[in-house]
Amino acid sequence: MAIHERSLVDPERVLRKDRLVIDGVDVSGDWNLIILPRVVNDYDLEFYDEVIAQPEGKTIVNCYQCSYCTASCPVHNYWDERYNPRHFIYLARLGLIDELQKRADVMWRCVSCHKCTHRCPKGVLVEEVLKAILRVMAKRGIIEEYPSKKFDKFFLDSVYEYGRIEDGELLFGWIEKQGYQVVKDPILKKPIPFIGGVPEWLKELAAKPLKNMNIGFLILNAKHMLFHPRTKNWNKFKQVLRKVMEEEGVYTH
Amino acid sequence: MAKSVLVVGGGPAGLAAARTLGKLGIPTILVEKEQKLGGRPVLEDYHTLIPRKMTPQQVIGPFIEEVQNSPNVDVKLGVELEACEGEAPNFKVKLSNGEEHEVGAIVVATGFQHFDAKRKGELGYGIYPDVITNLELEQMFSREGKLYRPSNGQMPKRVAFVFCVGSRDRQLGVTNVHCCRYGCALSGLQGSEIREKYPDVDVFCYYMDVRTYGTWEYPFYWAPQEKYGVRYVRGRIAEITYSPTDGRLRVKHEDTIVQRPAEIPMDLVVLVLGMEPSEGTKKVAKILGLAQDPDSQFLLPAEDAGSNIISNKAGVFIAGACKGPIDIESSLSEGEAAGAEAATFIGAKVSA
Repeated sequence: MAIHERSLVDPERVLRKDRLVIDGVDVSGDWNLIILPRVVNDYDLEFYDEVIAQPEGKTIVNCYQCSYCTASCPVHNYWDERYNPRHFIYLARLGLIDELQKRADVMWRCVSCHKCTHRCPKGVLVEEVLKAILRVMAKRGIIEEYPSKKFDKFFLDSVYEYGRIEDGELLFGWIEKQGYQVVKDPILKKPIPFIGGVPEWLKELAAKPLKNMNIGFLILNAKHMLFHPRTKNWNKFKQVLRKVMEEEGVYTH
Repeated sequence: MAKSVLVVGGGPAGLAAARTLGKLGIPTILVEKEQKLGGRPVLEDYHTLIPRKMTPQQVIGPFIEEVQNSPNVDVKLGVELEACEGEAPNFKVKLSNGEEHEVGAIVVATGFQHFDAKRKGELGYGIYPDVITNLELEQMFSREGKLYRPSNGQMPKRVAFVFCVGSRDRQLGVTNVHCCRYGCALSGLQGSEIREKYPDVDVFCYYMDVRTYGTWEYPFYWAPQEKYGVRYVRGRIAEITYSPTDGRLRVKHEDTIVQRPAEIPMDLVVLVLGMEPSEGTKKVAKILGLAQDPDSQFLLPAEDAGSNIISNKAGVFIAGACKGPIDIESSLSEGEAAGAEAATFIGAKVSA
């Protein structure tokens, strides 16, 4: 049977069988095609419980769907309307998994500007809540590990180890984490700038600030990259940080 | 000039008016149609009253006691107002027990009645035993002290509140287009009570918008979500069906945020009933010639009066739910105001 205005029906909702037998009755022919309804049949409430169980996810209970966050969100405003933090929260609360999955390709696009969190009238830590939602989705295998997480981990590792970040190292670290080949010197295992598989646009991007940089600052940066100083008394702070991270259940080394 | 006051209705507003009049030393006749004082909250065993979260006994009990013990208030149970002649301040009133009295002022506090949910056939009330009204849920709490599915006596896993049943609905005619005012708040409270006592039960509120106005916002809208985990879903329930395969109900609606139709399994569905003027209110309006809202039939205050207890007829004061949906504390304070207003109308003064 033909569908009129077929373009209006999602392809995944069209079932077509050459031969179809239902309860022993052969219904091939006119009834060989079924359009599955758009109806939501149930909620997955465990999804919400898992989000709340994440340390970042607790404030999701406060949301009352005013959409202050989405109206403020640069990703929503300038990139893709499907990136909608307010809507993600609603879907996560009811556990509408298929709807979340439809948006899996855009969900990790947060640029961490934190406008949502600073403006939320109900005190929802929106950016953190979305990370919690993403984490539960990743755990369930319905979204790929988001690429920005690699950088997050690199950043956190750096702070955790030294109590500070090095701009140069962070840049090279980011390049490496993006999957580009970085050539390292054999002794200190530090990246050598501008050789290897780094694309031209990235080299240009990295070279721009170098041209205008004070030579003393450049040397200082290089020195820090090579010999990576630590924040004073960092080991004491590190112990405190570790304790807090363990208490809150975030990953530790 | 007659120096007594007639109070029509023995609910919260009427009791408050009679109590104030009694304390001022004014001879008062209180007529109540039922055999018991207290009005809807007492007669129908409400469990908890918003917004103070007190029982009807705690709130209305002291008023009943004071009125019954007042030497100035003559309580007549099982009696209605039948006729009224004359103008203020010389009303000649005839009661259903045959008595006739002369009164200087009248306080009308004839109240409301609950919407009859059977009129919304698509919601299955009276067809499926697990579709109940919020009044029946109150009685389940107050009379039996437990939550259960009427069909099998078991604990429900999921409870849905269906907002605005008999409110904001032109399909019922022009009589039910108003907002019931209490429904959103009471549902938030009932949902919280369920979640507090039975944390394993999931509670859903299906709403178009949530009208917990003023200071009710935190206790009856934010707290249910933040503290008790009541879930709010935007979409008006259009139909309730029953699935024999799993013995559960299905609430059919469009989730207007997700913009998809949904038929979600539920074990117990609670219809949040609207308020209508009681039969007594409509009858008294005819007898006394009071202005009524052409749509809802609730009593209307005088057009030129800023205060809403002044009726269009001199010497007649209106208080409580006969003027439209109202909460318990406003009903009591309106009754008190109407009582004081009636006292000054008949010329009572505090002697030094």
